[in-house]
Amino acid sequence: MPVPDPFLQGLARGWRVLNAARLDEGQVFEADVIIVGTGAGGGTSAEILTQAGLSVVLVEEGSLKASSDFENDEAKAYAELYQEGAARMTADGGISILQGRTVGGSTTVNWTSSFRTPTPTLNHWAAVHAVTGLDAESLAPWFAHMEARLGIAPWAVPPNPNNDVLRAGCEALGWHWSAIPRNVRGCWNLGYCGTGCPTNAKQSMLLTTLPAALEAGATLIHGARAERLVIEDERVVGVECRGMNATLSRADGPGLQIRGSHVVLAGGGINTPGLLLRSQAPDPFERLGKRTFLHPVALTVAQFDQRIDGYYGAPQSIHSDHFQWREGVTGPLGFKLEVPPMQPSIMAALFGGHGREGLARMGRLSHSSVAIALMRDGFHPESQGGQVVLRKDGTPVLDYPLNDYLFGGVRRAYLAMGELQFAAGAEAVMPGHSHARLSRDWPDFRAQVERLSYALHDVRLASAHVMGGCALGDDPRHAVVDSRGRHHQLENLSVLDGSLFPTSIGANPQLSIYAIVARLASRLAEEMNSQRHP
Amino acid sequence: MPIVISRRELLKLGLGASLTLTTVGVTASLSGCSSAQPSAGFMVLRDSDLGLLAVLLAAVIGPHPALADNESAADATLRQLDRSLAAMSPAIHKDVSELLDLLNLPLTRGPLTGVWGAWENASPGQIDAFLIRWRDSRFDLLRQGYKALNQLLSMAWYALPMAWAETGYPGPPRV
Repeated sequence: MPVPDPFLQGLARGWRVLNAARLDEGQVFEADVIIVGTGAGGGTSAEILTQAGLSVVLVEEGSLKASSDFENDEAKAYAELYQEGAARMTADGGISILQGRTVGGSTTVNWTSSFRTPTPTLNHWAAVHAVTGLDAESLAPWFAHMEARLGIAPWAVPPNPNNDVLRAGCEALGWHWSAIPRNVRGCWNLGYCGTGCPTNAKQSMLLTTLPAALEAGATLIHGARAERLVIEDERVVGVECRGMNATLSRADGPGLQIRGSHVVLAGGGINTPGLLLRSQAPDPFERLGKRTFLHPVALTVAQFDQRIDGYYGAPQSIHSDHFQWREGVTGPLGFKLEVPPMQPSIMAALFGGHGREGLARMGRLSHSSVAIALMRDGFHPESQGGQVVLRKDGTPVLDYPLNDYLFGGVRRAYLAMGELQFAAGAEAVMPGHSHARLSRDWPDFRAQVERLSYALHDVRLASAHVMGGCALGDDPRHAVVDSRGRHHQLENLSVLDGSLFPTSIGANPQLSIYAIVARLASRLAEEMNSQRHP
Repeated sequence: MPIVISRRELLKLGLGASLTLTTVGVTASLSGCSSAQPSAGFMVLRDSDLGLLAVLLAAVIGPHPALADNESAADATLRQLDRSLAAMSPAIHKDVSELLDLLNLPLTRGPLTGVWGAWENASPGQIDAFLIRWRDSRFDLLRQGYKALNQLLSMAWYALPMAWAETGYPGPPRV
């Protein structure tokens, strides 16, 4: 029996969902609140604001794809559902960036890991970045609310063999590990979260908050890039948009105008600061786009005697924070250990090597396990992250220079991951590096890691978590928005997405976005309603 | 994969190389070697790209039985690559085109790759030496070029079901 597609059913019931490419040039829309972006921040905001009785128009650059479109097909998903066709990267090409570009944003394609913001991170924000009202105690009810809303609970099914390597290695070495909370209901344990959930188990925005907002009368315009905010007398009066072409590579379709009394930016890191830069929004202290963080990811590949089949089963179900805080919040780079899903196209990009060597690596895919270290950037003076700048065509790109502080973290992460993979019974391990070779034992691996070149392009780095660039904080000299998410210079503009964070999170960020945005959007709704009905 | 050719980098490559690189665009437009138009049936890749990429594909992927035994496999891979490229940004299209021009134009191909004749006539040993030279180069530009070629071609190839048996991947579940 085919899986029902609730989004298609909603469309049949009359949801106002419009493809910008089919609209007339110059068409005008109006709403109380314009929300740019439909991911974790935009979806959560839309549900809360519509339930407060406000009219909402959502704009999404990506296209509308729902469960009936999801075919567990890697290449199709990377082209259709990811920013820049999954080829987004930092300006010098040093870090590849996987970020969603579709209705539901990254929540449509993420791997479902749902952690509360670590308390040391929230304490650091309060102490160093003048963030108020977002301490662990104040946020606890918002975490609980979003966990209930999205079915978030620790994964109770046994981990797949790829995740079990992480568990077994940590267990053997006496390191911390635990089960990952996931935002799923009735998960089939297939392993294709990254290409769009075909069974509607993942409680992404596509399945939860966006349907709730549409049911309450919101309008969703997809395939439309927000090109420019219209700013008059220190207020944003509207958003100029343009329809995207069929492959989402260019905004060359009909021009649209949306007028509203409040604008919420939720295009995520890179895109939200990019829109503000294009709009020449006031930025008197030159903070816009600065301190953008990535949780840069280093990896190691281990080969086993037994099958791992890491492309099947819940992709992330075990994590380790053994190396996250042990050297202090602001010390050498801390990192979380996890594993990725291992479908062949993405693995070919990570395994590296060419000719017979590359082929031999791919020939062991079914018996390989990959460990990843997500490095917690933004807490140390040597970790200032990157800066979003505009290309000549106005599209944003992240300039994120690599330095010795980061490479020091990579080196320690290689050692940690190699040690744990050998402890879990690996026959051979190699680092994700252009000069990597397979080491047959831990001493040889350790020696290899000490001799590697730590240089741009040699070290294979990726990111799936773009954070910051519109940092929140009460001091306008250091932050773009205040602790309510309101722009310091433009009163009726809020930023409600991952670009708010003044550092990286130190955990997969989706639940941090949900809970913090739920808190801030609820307050925005109260303030807007009290202005209208004093 | 942006190929950023900074002025500093050009100087590091040496005066001869820098003169060569800065003339790529002019040479390409004068000689008609490098059309801006996509090849018939393609959205991004140009005629001049297809032969080059087919040669590089075999070198990057290695002696994979499904690639070696199947005459249509390379064509299927380049069509897959083209579909992927079409979804990427204009900035990436420009970088990829410039990289492929650098490899294709005689003025730059010889000095930068060590392959002095047409790619189709290069021996497997010459092509492998070119890949290793770029992988291990002290110039960021060339190391990035190696990474970009490797990732674009291997991601496209291993996205195709015909590539999977060799990896032990049984394929995705049907829902």
